[in-house]
Amino acid sequence: MSAIVFAGARRVYDLPSRRVVALESFDLSIAEKEFVVIVGPSGCGKTTCLRLAAGFDFPSSGEVNVGGQKVTGPGPDRAVVFQHFALFPWKTVHDNIALGLRNAGVPAAERERRIESALKLMNLESAARAFPHQLSGGMQQRVAIARATVLDPAVLLMDEPFGALDAQTRVVMQEELVRLARVNPRTVLFITHSVEEAIYLADRVVVMTRAPGRIKEIIAVKALREQEGWDTLPKIEDVMDQPSFVQLRTHVWRSLRDEQVPSE
Amino acid sequence: MPGRRGLIAAASLLGLALLWAWATSPFGPVSPERFPSPPLVGAAFLQIATTGFAGATLPRQVLTSLGLVIEGFLVAASSGTALGLAMGWNRRFAAFVNPVFQLLRPIPPLAWIPLVILWLGLGNAAKVLVIWFAAFVPAVINAETGVREIPGALLEAARMLGTPRHRLLVEVVVPAAAPMIFTGLRLCLQATWTTLVAAELVGSFYGLGHVLSEAQQDIYPGMIFVGMAAIGVCGWLTTAVLGWVERRLLGWHASARPAHA
Repeated sequence: MSAIVFAGARRVYDLPSRRVVALESFDLSIAEKEFVVIVGPSGCGKTTCLRLAAGFDFPSSGEVNVGGQKVTGPGPDRAVVFQHFALFPWKTVHDNIALGLRNAGVPAAERERRIESALKLMNLESAARAFPHQLSGGMQQRVAIARATVLDPAVLLMDEPFGALDAQTRVVMQEELVRLARVNPRTVLFITHSVEEAIYLADRVVVMTRAPGRIKEIIAVKALREQEGWDTLPKIEDVMDQPSFVQLRTHVWRSLRDEQVPSE
Repeated sequence: MPGRRGLIAAASLLGLALLWAWATSPFGPVSPERFPSPPLVGAAFLQIATTGFAGATLPRQVLTSLGLVIEGFLVAASSGTALGLAMGWNRRFAAFVNPVFQLLRPIPPLAWIPLVILWLGLGNAAKVLVIWFAAFVPAVINAETGVREIPGALLEAARMLGTPRHRLLVEVVVPAAAPMIFTGLRLCLQATWTTLVAAELVGSFYGLGHVLSEAQQDIYPGMIFVGMAAIGVCGWLTTAVLGWVERRLLGWHASARPAHA
């Protein structure tokens, strides 16, 4: 019970000087254990979408449901990974990951066991006692992913999680996320402005129009990916070399390019 | 490296001491009547340490001031920080309190002294109240700013992880605002000493400010120096203690917050 359904969601911000429509008649159903990536030009409302699903923000009209329930606020069933990690700088890596488990009342022994396995999964064992600022950006984002996934949430919401990382780290993180997602699939809503990242990760790619954000096009990737055996290739660059990938990338690029605000 | 810097600091202080000794000696340009020579200060120190001055010996004078500083600081710091946290957390509460705060703030804390003496006399309660007027303000402002500046994503992350609303204060708000709170506490401590000495100068029975004011009336520059030095040492000591507490509690913060936190 973890499907995400946006039904005619609209979000309007009333600023002192003007009224901004961030999201307009947004209809999208994300099936259980489906990995959906939203791409769109900056300011198109893609982050607004994610915030509505997270329960940080609410639609001005329309509805957002997760697992058949109307979203009324944030909760550990919908873990969020933020672009700038949002780790607690005063807590060690271990304690950052522990907070959600403590809140859930998980007994100490089981808590330690789960933290340990989360650290192991994200290759963080040696960093358990470090503070976030002592780690590289890539390591910090691993901690944030460990903190989110240790709760075993049905839904994972990722807001440009690799946007603040350098290119090499980004590639490694994308490969690891694919490994995680294929082994233990969850319902994932992932926001990015990288077309390659979207096609590489997604079961479906949603292209948004420029503001006010609407859905322009939804592209199914999963069937093609399985047919072409992308997941059997060990490296992202091997996947990106596939003619099927290149063709899809060009398609998404064209679709997205039409939405760029013409620069003066 | 620290060894070399320590050496330079020692040389600087020694140089100053030598300059002082020479300038106030019979060969120097300054009359020891105005600017006391080291032996005169030494004699004044001996006097206050053994027979006492201005009603008591040095330990009693020091403990009186130090006790009031600690008491005033704790009262002002705790009440100010609590009010600041509440104002930072709740915009409506801040909007309610702010007009009163802004109305009273331009009044220099020392201007309260006459009124406070009328109310409470020359005793300790009066001193603590004057200290409170001065030291309360930086504690409030910094705690409030500290809470306001907490990145929204940190609070969202905590809520997403299932932190109940009533635990957010302990789990996120106070630790995230702690560096700013400590900035407030340092200013608060500084204001405490300034105000206490001023209040003791105006009227008191014991204390280092009282020593200064009696020494001035007796035209006793050596004793004024002893009083000033004692205040300096005590101020340094209390600041060092606060710094130690800060380093213990904010170890995570010492090597700079990540730029994007």
